[in-house]
Amino acid sequence: MGEGATALRGQLRTMVGEHIPADFLGAFTEDPADLEIAQRFCGLLADRGLLCLAWPEEFGGRSASVWEQTVVREEMWAHHEPRGAQYMGINWVGPAIMRHGTPEQQRRHLPPITRGEVIWCQGFSEPDAGSDLASLRTAARPVEADVQPDGEGGTARQAGDGGWLVSGQKIWTSYATMAQWCFLLARTSRGARKQQGLTIFLVPMSRAGIEVRPIRCMIGPHHLNEVFLDEVRVGPADVLGTVDDGWKVVQEVLAFERVGIARYARCERLLQAAPSALGDRWDDLPAELRGRWAGMLVHCRRARLLAYRVLALQSQGRVSPVDTAAYRIAVTKLDQDSAEVLMEMAGLARLAGAGGRRFSRAVQDHWRYAQASTVASGSIEMQRILLARALLAAS
Amino acid sequence: MNIELSREATEYGRQARRALEAAGGDRLVQLAEEEPERREKVVAPVLAGLGAWELNPCGDAGELEAAAALCRSAGYWALPYPVAERLSRPAGLDADGLLVVAAPAPSAPVADLDLRWVAVTVSGERSRAVTLPQTSPPRHSAFVAELELSPVDGDGAADAALGLVLPCWTLLGMLDRAIDLTRAHVTVRTQFGQPLAAFQGVQFQLTDAEVERSGVEMLARYALWSLLASPADALADALALRLAALEAAQTVFRVAHQLHGATGFCDETFLSWLSRYSQPLRRLPLGLSATREQLGRQLGRRGLTGLFSEAR
Ligand SMILES: Cc1cc2nc3c(=O)[nH]c(=O)nc-3n(C[C@H](O)[C@H](O)[C@H](O)COP(=O)(O)OP(=O)(O)OC[C@H]3O[C@@H](n4cnc5c(N)ncnc54)[C@H](O)[C@@H]3O)c2cc1C
Repeated sequence: MGEGATALRGQLRTMVGEHIPADFLGAFTEDPADLEIAQRFCGLLADRGLLCLAWPEEFGGRSASVWEQTVVREEMWAHHEPRGAQYMGINWVGPAIMRHGTPEQQRRHLPPITRGEVIWCQGFSEPDAGSDLASLRTAARPVEADVQPDGEGGTARQAGDGGWLVSGQKIWTSYATMAQWCFLLARTSRGARKQQGLTIFLVPMSRAGIEVRPIRCMIGPHHLNEVFLDEVRVGPADVLGTVDDGWKVVQEVLAFERVGIARYARCERLLQAAPSALGDRWDDLPAELRGRWAGMLVHCRRARLLAYRVLALQSQGRVSPVDTAAYRIAVTKLDQDSAEVLMEMAGLARLAGAGGRRFSRAVQDHWRYAQASTVASGSIEMQRILLARALLAAS
Repeated sequence: MNIELSREATEYGRQARRALEAAGGDRLVQLAEEEPERREKVVAPVLAGLGAWELNPCGDAGELEAAAALCRSAGYWALPYPVAERLSRPAGLDADGLLVVAAPAPSAPVADLDLRWVAVTVSGERSRAVTLPQTSPPRHSAFVAELELSPVDGDGAADAALGLVLPCWTLLGMLDRAIDLTRAHVTVRTQFGQPLAAFQGVQFQLTDAEVERSGVEMLARYALWSLLASPADALADALALRLAALEAAQTVFRVAHQLHGATGFCDETFLSWLSRYSQPLRRLPLGLSATREQLGRQLGRRGLTGLFSEAR
């Protein structure tokens, strides 16, 4: 990865060691102090130019290499994401605005992300549109339609010039209770294909007509939410990219999102921590469990190398969704399989002092999150279908 | 061995399932999570009404089958109560129930209950067990409490076999339910213009889960038969059942979660409760690897009784 990347890893570990408590399990716990820790840490990273280091300099980054960016993702996820929800702004909201935003949108939205001051949420999924996202129903109705009947008047004005009223329901919206902005996908027209006629709006969560309701779930508190939209007013300035052409942006966003989380890094950190967390108890584990543990370390390495292949191809502009699919299938399975192995160690770890109990809590948290890793950001079956199609087309 | 449970036991299980449904069904575990102390008051009378505590599974094949059917029905509702553990109380020792435990961290899902327990290890050492005070709420602990043991004797080999088999029947009931929930979900949930059940990728996952579940069902009956008919093999057969049940639980719950999509993680869906409250049964007293190791030790060079076990 190069000397720069190694030095950066050291620097990040020192920062985590100094500013993140040893028992930190992410920003979204029952203890509000954890969210504050994450907010402060984002500020620190921003001050040192480490929050958006891979962004181009013109947008407040350092144009760092893809490997340095990878180091940040690995270290942050491994240490229970001390950036809180802000990783989304860095990984995909910012890049999407750089590619598709107007200069005004870039001026408005990118600086707060680089300073670690803003939380975004992703309003894509709906009750009836999960895997089949393009069938979504949240509708943006042009405001002129109220005053001008269809097809009359013959003006050159386009639908949406006077803005839209958005109504509908989003679901599974992570971090919506704490977000200031929503990256919202809504239908602006009906095309021949359902992927046509979708538009991305950048909407402040404080806008009238938006209501958020938390969903109680096994993953943990403050995570999943419903977002209700009742005639929420949006204007042309809120559109990201081109009206009716939002699907292209969605595909890019999901591609960024799927490589954005270095799941293998948390798996490896917990697996590697197990022997010292268990202390003398390690030798009491069934030999077969230690064998499974070793196997999981191999799977960590495998997933990491698959990630590096995707990143190498991405940096040459050659990445295809198929490469990403293989990686994502491997890494999400690793997440779940390693969680099972670790859970079988957690009981004994509880006997091994404060460190062991801390480890045990981290393992349980990992297990809960891992259950969702084959569903969040799109079900793994969609990746399988993609990979199978590509494999068969190639023969 | 009988391939089917007796008609009486099957009917008893059905009645138990209905009675537990009438007493709250899915709500029972939710209420217990809110108010752990009340679970004895809410659940125990229903079980008493079913004559659960008059059953004597140690002595009579019919009563053993009835006890198994009751555990399965309790599992179906993720009943927040140690039914299997109470039903396997040892004869001759004054106790309300039996817990199979493993050193060095004996624990069991019996927090907040005022009951007297005997604990037994797989190798048959019995002790009196007292629960230590809870440090975390049931949402995290799933009612698991650590136990303090004071040794009694080493005569518990048969107790251990029964104490391993009945909780597997509870887990079987949970697997029944996970599959029922998933089957219902994939027939109702529509994506891409058709029910999820129409996709072969969904069908095959569901069939993998069902193969595992039905395999456990047969091994559970075998182990029940073995308890009375083949006491020398009973412990190995109980461990064999536990191993298969743990493997099956991994597959069944994985498939159930996957096919439910995001909705399976939220508390409005019963799967979220079933999955969380299946954890103690799957981890205690022995997890997957520890069960494999224990079974290997139990079998030695002899192997499991089968078509060729005499030939060596
Ligand atoms: C932790 C978490 C965080 C999330 N955060 C967000 C967020 O911030 N914003 C947002 O918009 N969304 C979010 N989501 C939603 C996520 O994108 C959806 O859950 C995902 O796209 C799947 O949709 P679904 O849950 O409706 O499952 P469904 O589409 O109903 O599918 C259920 C299951 O059916 C199977 N299946 C479906 N279609 C097929 C097929 N064609 N072939 C074979 N099998 C199939 C799969 O096993 C799938 O898992 C989040 C989800 C989770 C779990």
